[in-house]
Amino acid sequence: MPSQAASPVVSPHESDSDASISLPQQRRPDRSPLASVDRLPYRRSNASLSNLFASTSSLPTRPGSDGTQTPPSAALNGSVFSPGGSTVRSPSPALPGVGAGSAGSETRNIIVRAFSPHVSVLASQDTEELIRHKGIHGGLLELLRPFGERVPGKVTIRDSSGASRSYEDYAVRFVGVKDGLESSRAANRNSTDSIRTGPRASMLEYKPARLRTGGDVPQIEDLVERHLTFAEEQSGPVQPDYLNHKSAATKPADSNNPSPFYHLYLRRLLSGLPLVPSETLSHPLASIIAISSRSPSPIEELRTLYASSNNGEHRLPPWVHNEFLRYYVLIHDEDYDSLPQSTALYDQMKRHFGLHCHLLRLRSTQCLPSDDDALLLPTCEWTAAAEDLSEITRRETSDDDDDPDITGPYIFDTDAANLRAFVRELVTQSLVPALERASATWNDQVASRRRGISGRFMSLSKRFTTFGSSSSSTSSASNRNSSVPSFGAAVGGSTNYDPSTGAYPPSANEATMRRLADYAMVLRDYRLAQSTFEILCQDFKGDKAWRHYAGANEMVVVSSLIQTGGAKVRYEAIETALREAYYTYVSRCQAPYYALRTLVLGVELLRLRGGAALDEAARWAGRVLEDRLVGAVGSVLVMERIAACYAERRVAGVSVVERRRKAAFWNALATEAWLRLEKGGRAEECLGAAARLYQALYESESSAAELEEKMGFEMEKRRFEAMQAHLASLHAAVQSNLSGPHHLSDEDLLAQQDADEQGQLAEPLQEDSDKLASLRRPSLQIQASNQPPGHRRSISVSASATSPDPPPQMQTLFDPLGAVGSAYETTPSTQRRPSGGGTVPLSAGAGVGDLPGMSSPMGERGSGGRDDGFE
Amino acid sequence: MSYYFAIIGTRDNPLFEIDFGTSKGGADGAARFRDEAKHMNQFIVHAALDMVEEIQWNNKELYLKKVDSFQNNHIHCLLTGGNIKFMLLMNPDPTSTPYSAYQTSPPSRPSTARQSTLLASNPTTPQTEDAVRQFMLEVYEAWLKCIMNPFYQVNQAVTSPVFRSRVATAAKKYL
Repeated sequence: MPSQAASPVVSPHESDSDASISLPQQRRPDRSPLASVDRLPYRRSNASLSNLFASTSSLPTRPGSDGTQTPPSAALNGSVFSPGGSTVRSPSPALPGVGAGSAGSETRNIIVRAFSPHVSVLASQDTEELIRHKGIHGGLLELLRPFGERVPGKVTIRDSSGASRSYEDYAVRFVGVKDGLESSRAANRNSTDSIRTGPRASMLEYKPARLRTGGDVPQIEDLVERHLTFAEEQSGPVQPDYLNHKSAATKPADSNNPSPFYHLYLRRLLSGLPLVPSETLSHPLASIIAISSRSPSPIEELRTLYASSNNGEHRLPPWVHNEFLRYYVLIHDEDYDSLPQSTALYDQMKRHFGLHCHLLRLRSTQCLPSDDDALLLPTCEWTAAAEDLSEITRRETSDDDDDPDITGPYIFDTDAANLRAFVRELVTQSLVPALERASATWNDQVASRRRGISGRFMSLSKRFTTFGSSSSSTSSASNRNSSVPSFGAAVGGSTNYDPSTGAYPPSANEATMRRLADYAMVLRDYRLAQSTFEILCQDFKGDKAWRHYAGANEMVVVSSLIQTGGAKVRYEAIETALREAYYTYVSRCQAPYYALRTLVLGVELLRLRGGAALDEAARWAGRVLEDRLVGAVGSVLVMERIAACYAERRVAGVSVVERRRKAAFWNALATEAWLRLEKGGRAEECLGAAARLYQALYESESSAAELEEKMGFEMEKRRFEAMQAHLASLHAAVQSNLSGPHHLSDEDLLAQQDADEQGQLAEPLQEDSDKLASLRRPSLQIQASNQPPGHRRSISVSASATSPDPPPQMQTLFDPLGAVGSAYETTPSTQRRPSGGGTVPLSAGAGVGDLPGMSSPMGERGSGGRDDGFE
Repeated sequence: MSYYFAIIGTRDNPLFEIDFGTSKGGADGAARFRDEAKHMNQFIVHAALDMVEEIQWNNKELYLKKVDSFQNNHIHCLLTGGNIKFMLLMNPDPTSTPYSAYQTSPPSRPSTARQSTLLASNPTTPQTEDAVRQFMLEVYEAWLKCIMNPFYQVNQAVTSPVFRSRVATAAKKYL
């Protein structure tokens, strides 16, 4: 077992401030820590990197997160004097409106916010220059995006029945003009994207428009895997050391609370929706056209930009409805230009372009972190996976922690306030009223005619006469845009559908209704959306527009399940729609991403309904696994979800309905799968959940058994032996995985890198740190043996017999079936020899082997199978 | 095509376990379970008890038919009057069961026509249910005779070789 023979001498946790020097004491050349990270050039834990992972690394058991005894490595990483160090602490933007609500509502919140209006951003060259001068390389879009994710204050929306409702968590999604059109994987270098990128961009092939396209399941997998790996590194052993063992042991079982990783997965699945003809959710509902006060001929520029968005370079494909709101923004340079001049220009703009104008005052000088009112530009929540991946790679490869490119750009406080005001005005005064107006019009003109008996008749007549198509397209001639290129003669027969492009012309009734339904979705008028989608299902089916049909069915499911308050949902209808959508996506369209999205949305929303719907949720989640729609990481997350669904299912009363055994079983499965992916921390959590469930099952019973024994019966206690043994071996595997420095550390990757011989970047650093390490090692060892046991980093150093481990506190927790007891005495989980003793077998596994009747393959893998990729 | 049969007591404790294969169509009657299945079958059957506990209140019969399935394992159950559960797990193709592993290969379909006509591939057809019912009833009869032994106590494991051979005979006859 070469891997543990070479168990490295790592610095104790205390000296984690050295993490950026990454001491590579021992090489582990023949280990491939994680296949998916192999191509990572070099991995370091620096401040900005951990900031990136902040959304998931707020694990409750993360040691040092209290910051009392062991400061997190990142905090010491940056210069003490620069506020850059404080970036570690900046929390991920909390969801507004949810507050401390239950986890269930958080899932719902994610889904609700996934359907936000998309607003495309089109800025003139000089505007982009101005913004870039501020140190924001992505231009105006990058500056606006974080502010769109949370519209400050309440947004009041009037629904189709005239009732107004206010939402505190309304959001808009700012996107680039051509976002979502190209697959994020296309290797085409001739990007037509006009946005220039930062200096590092060329190196990393940073192609913003393409990266902002989501819908790529492998990339999502990859990203979540990165987050998991990072969390494993950070949290290290959740093994009780004396700082955190209490919190770890007493942490209540909360099956309700999905892991942050699952939320991340869900969010990435729903962000960056590709721009396709079959659904208008990701089509822009408004467009911001921005010029700056630097422009010599501003009005002219606005006209050019407007024209280019209609039929020029920025024109979207013909199937995109082009009659959306245009919003004109004048960006005033506070530092160099005079305000009266800009105001005059702004007045002129208003005269030319009407009310949808805004004067945005921004400073053009770069904001430094040391400035008084500096504010870190918030990070986006709704980014596509490819973006995140490229950002992680960028930060990992950078050398300088204090590089403003790396810590993220800062903006002035006044800028932030102005931006917030701008977004609020855009949404409340222009966007929402425009959407309301449009959906009311379409509802009157198109959709309401289709409801009721006459509407049914119309759909029939449309199908059986050639007359229908012409009448329907003329009826909406008012919507027709002159700049729409003719859809040609493809409109044959009685349908508007063009099978060659897979699209309806935007003026067709079907397209209008789909837009209406999607507008209703983003306006959160789910009842209107549901009824419209139901009509659409019929139409699309008649036209054999399968992708549209699947999309409409999917949205029927979502819009009917997402409604709250009293709305009784007939499950049969939902199930039919869900099955149709899924089947159509998978077999007729070969669109696995959409199929996965459908199922995940369905599962989550069914789960929120509770009761018998939980069983259905679990069943559909099982379909995800069966049909292999997800990758390795996703499948384990889905397993966890199934377990959560079952754990929640509980009906007390005459007939007790419980699924605790099933929940425990799925948790055990997830444990095994996490171990296979080397995610010890997650595995431990799942095993803990399983153990708690089994314990709850047999607690009452064992007391009854004791009673019987007292009464003189000889009660033979016999359980499923192999099952117990398997649980015990899982437990042992989790323990050994946690206690050892198995998880990825800097050394692994450096060694890996060497093997790949690509480490130009890492090489000099490594030599330096080799010297450093040799200087440091004796002192380290002394320090380490004086350490109280339990620190992860010190374990491999001080594992000699001098420091016996404290008896593991979680024994009782993990031993509901009474199986682990003997394993524990012989399983000093940290009995790992220092690097010299390579012949000593892994003691944890051996301990399990001593269990009587223990014959599960897991145990063998725990002890000997380190080379089969299990570690 | 493999079967795992377990008799489970009132405290979720197994009283009797056996696994066997089909004897139909010239098969040798040996189980083809993988190593993993040794514990996984127990997990699956144990998890299916949840469903039994729910179904037993809606069904007057002793034989509850198919109660649960996990991947390509299907579980049939007979619930005796004494709250002893006879659980029969059937798996048409144990090699293709992924359990917790992540498989990249496409989901397997029954490869041969013969395989798709197997009992275990169609767990809810009348033929399957009939065969399983007959098997269960025969085992039930043997079980009653076995527990009439005056030294037998409730929830005691059954080790009798005679009983075991009778179960095996019934399996050979019907499954």
